[in-house]
Amino acid sequence: MSAGVMKDNRSASRLVLENVSHRYGELPVLHNLNLVVNPGELVVLVGPSGCGKTTLLNLLSGHIQPASGTVHREGIIRTVYQHDGLFPWLSVLENISMGLRSVTRKTQRQQEMHELIELIHLEGFEHHYPHELSGGMRQRVELARVLAGDSDILLMDEPFSALDYQTRLRMRHELNRLLVKRPRTVVFVTHDIEEAAQLADRVLVLSNRPATICRELRIHAPRPRDLTDQAVIEAMKAILIELGLQT
Amino acid sequence: MGPETNKRQGMSMPAGPTAKPGKVRIRRFGLPVMVLLCVLLTWWLVSFFHLFPAYAMPSPGAVLNSFKEEISAGRLVNDIIASLWRVAIGFVVSACLGIPLGLWLGQHAAGRQAFVPMLNFFRFLSPLAWIPFAILWFHIGDKPAIFLIFMATFFPLVLATMSAVATIPKIYFRVARDYNYKGIELLTKVTFPAVLPQVITALRVSYGIAWVVIVAAEMVGCQDGLGYGIWEARNGLRLDSAVCYMITIGVLGMGIDRLLAQLTKLPDVRWGYER
Amino acid sequence: MKLSITGFITGIVLIIVMLGLLRYRPWNHNGSVNIKDVVHDGPNNKAKRQLTVGYLPVTCHLTCPVTDFASKTTHANTNFNSQVFSDFPTVVSALQAKQIQATFMIVPLAMKLREQGVPVRICYLGHRDGSEIVVAKNGKVRSLRDLKGKKVAIPSPYSNQNFVMHKLMEDYGMKPDDITFVVLPPPDMPTSLASGAIDGYFVGEPFCAKAELDGIGRVLYYARDIWPNFISCALVVHEDLIRDNREVVEDLVRGIAQSGAWAETHRAEAARLAAPYYRQDQKVLDYVLLSDPRRVSYVQLTPTDEDLQQIQDMGIKMGLLTKHIPMRELIDRDFVPQTITPALIDAAKIPDPQAGKIH
Ligand SMILES: Nc1ncnc2c1ncn2[C@@H]1O[C@H](COP(=O)(O)OP(=O)(O)OP(=O)(O)O)[C@@H](O)[C@H]1O
Ligand SMILES: [Mg+2]
Repeated sequence: MSAGVMKDNRSASRLVLENVSHRYGELPVLHNLNLVVNPGELVVLVGPSGCGKTTLLNLLSGHIQPASGTVHREGIIRTVYQHDGLFPWLSVLENISMGLRSVTRKTQRQQEMHELIELIHLEGFEHHYPHELSGGMRQRVELARVLAGDSDILLMDEPFSALDYQTRLRMRHELNRLLVKRPRTVVFVTHDIEEAAQLADRVLVLSNRPATICRELRIHAPRPRDLTDQAVIEAMKAILIELGLQT
Repeated sequence: MGPETNKRQGMSMPAGPTAKPGKVRIRRFGLPVMVLLCVLLTWWLVSFFHLFPAYAMPSPGAVLNSFKEEISAGRLVNDIIASLWRVAIGFVVSACLGIPLGLWLGQHAAGRQAFVPMLNFFRFLSPLAWIPFAILWFHIGDKPAIFLIFMATFFPLVLATMSAVATIPKIYFRVARDYNYKGIELLTKVTFPAVLPQVITALRVSYGIAWVVIVAAEMVGCQDGLGYGIWEARNGLRLDSAVCYMITIGVLGMGIDRLLAQLTKLPDVRWGYER
Repeated sequence: MKLSITGFITGIVLIIVMLGLLRYRPWNHNGSVNIKDVVHDGPNNKAKRQLTVGYLPVTCHLTCPVTDFASKTTHANTNFNSQVFSDFPTVVSALQAKQIQATFMIVPLAMKLREQGVPVRICYLGHRDGSEIVVAKNGKVRSLRDLKGKKVAIPSPYSNQNFVMHKLMEDYGMKPDDITFVVLPPPDMPTSLASGAIDGYFVGEPFCAKAELDGIGRVLYYARDIWPNFISCALVVHEDLIRDNREVVEDLVRGIAQSGAWAETHRAEAARLAAPYYRQDQKVLDYVLLSDPRRVSYVQLTPTDEDLQQIQDMGIKMGLLTKHIPMRELIDRDFVPQTITPALIDAAKIPDPQAGKIH
């Protein structure tokens, strides 16, 4: 890993929501939300469908402005979308190089791209186009793209939900592995409680619309965690109870 | 996720019949040639047995002779160049103005509301309705024909580009924002490639219109060109040479469309035709 | 292969440049704008002046290509390049734009132009007669009265054929709407007659001859039978040319007069000469010029006040013309030569169109 592009992303990044509320017209979606995402932390948001998780991510990234309250953000934010976030007219390599636009030196950029391709195990597919890849491969390219260069914060909106179960399991490992090599601050939205329990430093359970944070759950066990780890099972149980899916 | 799992996902092959290559070739080339031969045979029979009077249906032989005549006189080549030149200029001008305008309109809802009714109005005016004005304003020569080609292709191109831009998935613009694409770079690196497949389709369609229009446009206000050739053949009461021009027009039109179709094979627009 | 924008643009520019080069052939420094229209290249390319004269491939305009040919093969001071047009609106447009300054044109149209302020003058006539009313070969029509309630095609409302037809109807005591007139492009007239879309037509040659040759139609009236010394087309010259370049106009009128005199007596040769200019089958031209001397003549081409006044009066009566233009403004007879000798065309120099054709 070239030291030049590496920087301490932990201290540079900062995401704070203060008393944030949001509504779409007459529809209140978020109510008085307070949230501090610490540098290097992986926060997972879970909640019922339509409660406002995507809206929350959009507020964090700045795509939309809150109706009231303030959002502080420091650092370069990038988003991994559920699917189809890659530019279909660019090859794998070109898509990844979008993340390296700030790197001006060509040799350095090429080296970096090479590393990233290796990291996501897509050697040989550099010149393929997204429509020639499987869903899992595409999501890996997305990961490589957001990890490239000097990003600080990653927002992920159900990044693996379009994948089959096995691929999803693999992608969790993949993400863990990548984050070890390239630490980032992550806010991760998912419906998958397993995923939340396996990945999160902190799980935030949102209530029904208008959403508030109704439970905050810290998982101290070190990553990577196995599905069958005690900590994971306990966390899953707690989340399920909180969502009213288990008593 | 080892490399071995990647291997199962090879290059996606172009969809199509999986028959033996020989068979495919027969089907791709043999069948059309057979149909062509049948049509020629019917034509020959019709003229051989005089099912139509000679003045209403020139024989294949007469047409062949007039081909020889027109080629040896150098007229046919000259007319082809004249028509190609007019179509090329008219088409390039309308693409150079129409595509940027379409891009702009696609991104500005207010502009759309303001201009679309007007654009639609002009789109439904047959370009041939402009012929009297074309001649009044541009007199004779290349200009009126180029003007007519422009009028025929500009509006469909603008509207097609515009609706292509308006339907670009929002997600591309979000990604572009994440990666700091702004202004002109946003336009050339995101918006334009995102609509390119549809623009290419629109170009092909409007090229078809252009080629149809050039023939009609050259019937007035011109001194050469393929359309003029037909008109002159008619004036000269030479239907055989009119048919020879018609064949030239059809073959050229088809050939150029095949060339344009090659554009859709480019890798960075391929995606637009595969889903 | 990857579509790079620069590569794409370069490709387009290359194609355009190539087409442009092929189209304008800048290496062709001949200077003659109409090089492709010069069918015969004579020994007289060294003439001091040159002029482009417009015409349509109809026998009424026959003297135009003959003058073109004569100016190149005999000793003359001006080279005349005949430029073929396919319809009159285009001729008008070219004249307005001064892309051509002299052309053959139907007389009422010239009057209309003058009315609209385009300064043109009639300097000479193209022919006498040369038009016929044609009806279906096996039809029952024997006189104009039989055409009552039928459809007759004319080439243009501003054609003298239209005017003459109305005069004839008047003579026969018919009302103007007894016959339905439709405007058709002359080449379509024979076929329309054959298919029964029209019952007759009145137009210049060779579109009447074509119907006869194809066994579709027969002549009902020769123009001269209705209107003695019938005129349909005249030589129209822009006043700017008359003012700036009198010698050229003089050469032109003399050339046409001499060509007419020659064509009148050398009809077979004239047909052979004109066929490649017209891109027409020589058979048809032969038929027009040779079958019956009543069809068309190329002498007596000085326009008289009476000739044109008659046409103007008819046009005004029909409401197609609105202004009384004095004949001295309309006609310019200054260039008509005193004596007219046939052009000294060497018949041996006329290329044989049959040589390159198999029919
Ligand atoms: N652009 C919008 N305009 C109006 N209403 C919207 C808009 N986007 C979202 N909403 C509404 O806001 C609510 C929250 O939407 P959001 O997409 O944030 O939910 P979500 O928690 O991400 O749901 P899911 O888990 O199904 O993705 C929904 O009820 C939706 O109808
Ligand atoms: Mg969502």
